[in-house]
Amino acid sequence: MSEQDPDAELVARVGAQDPVAVRTLVARKLPRLLALATRMLGDRMEAEDVAQEAFVRIWKQAPRWREGEAKFDTWLHRVALNLCYDRLRGQREEPVAELPDEADPAASPDVRIENEARDARIREALSALPARQREALVLNYYQELSNVDAAALMGITVDALESLLARARRNLRTQLAGIGPGEDKS
Amino acid sequence: MTPERFHTIVEAYGADPRRWPEQERADAQAWAAAHRAEADAVLAESAAIDAWLARDQVAPPARELQRRIVESAPVRRPSWFRQHVWWSGAAIAGVGLTGGLAGALAVSFFVLTGAASSMHEPSVHESSYLTTGFGGSPDDWSDE
Repeated sequence: MSEQDPDAELVARVGAQDPVAVRTLVARKLPRLLALATRMLGDRMEAEDVAQEAFVRIWKQAPRWREGEAKFDTWLHRVALNLCYDRLRGQREEPVAELPDEADPAASPDVRIENEARDARIREALSALPARQREALVLNYYQELSNVDAAALMGITVDALESLLARARRNLRTQLAGIGPGEDKS
Repeated sequence: MTPERFHTIVEAYGADPRRWPEQERADAQAWAAAHRAEADAVLAESAAIDAWLARDQVAPPARELQRRIVESAPVRRPSWFRQHVWWSGAAIAGVGLTGGLAGALAVSFFVLTGAASSMHEPSVHESSYLTTGFGGSPDDWSDE
């Protein structure tokens, strides 16, 4: 791989048990990892468990990490997705949407209720997608991985990824038909 | 860029050209500029889904979660901490050793000073003080 891994130097320091590097890596990766797991599982508590478990894997892997075999971020996404799929298989049912985040106290009650309802609606729609469609959308849209990286991570071709993405968007359109996304008024 | 490929790109990646495949982005934008009406219809439909997707925000991780994760990592102690621990251990060992030596010195001092003073003044450990009333000399019975 000719492209340099932007995380390689930091991971090497984590492997050497540098406490500053540990804090930096957590600050850099935890928000993305938590967002990925939350959207895949639709459950905040389960997502936090996945994030913690993923970091335990990092601590074990970091001393042995070799730059050039795979990008660290790609490897981390694979670990997190495997942990998510383990839990989804354990649930044997479609994940439920998480509760809305804490309401914005500055917004009026009517606007707040309306925003919360719309937020809950998109979460339900995302949660109702077949897991592979949701995975493709989460990796490409929310995690902002390139189509090549997302396809490689999922073990499929770019054509197959595009097909999953298009079907995911069509499903969302069907589910959300007749409801405008509105503007976030909070 | 064909019309079919433009449709596929927008249906898969959305209406925002920044999300389109980098190697096709310029061609797709040029096609859209050249076929404004057809492109706008496709883009508008996809932009509505983009707006929905953008609504889904995940709250940032709580400090408590960050703390738990950081604490789960095996970390090497900083050098100042290791030195501090070393000096603390050395200090404790030093105090113990000093105490032992002082005790030994004190015992030696009392033993030596006790032996010297017994030559000039009565010792509290004189043999008469150590005997009982029944430990008198057998001469006491000689008068009988």
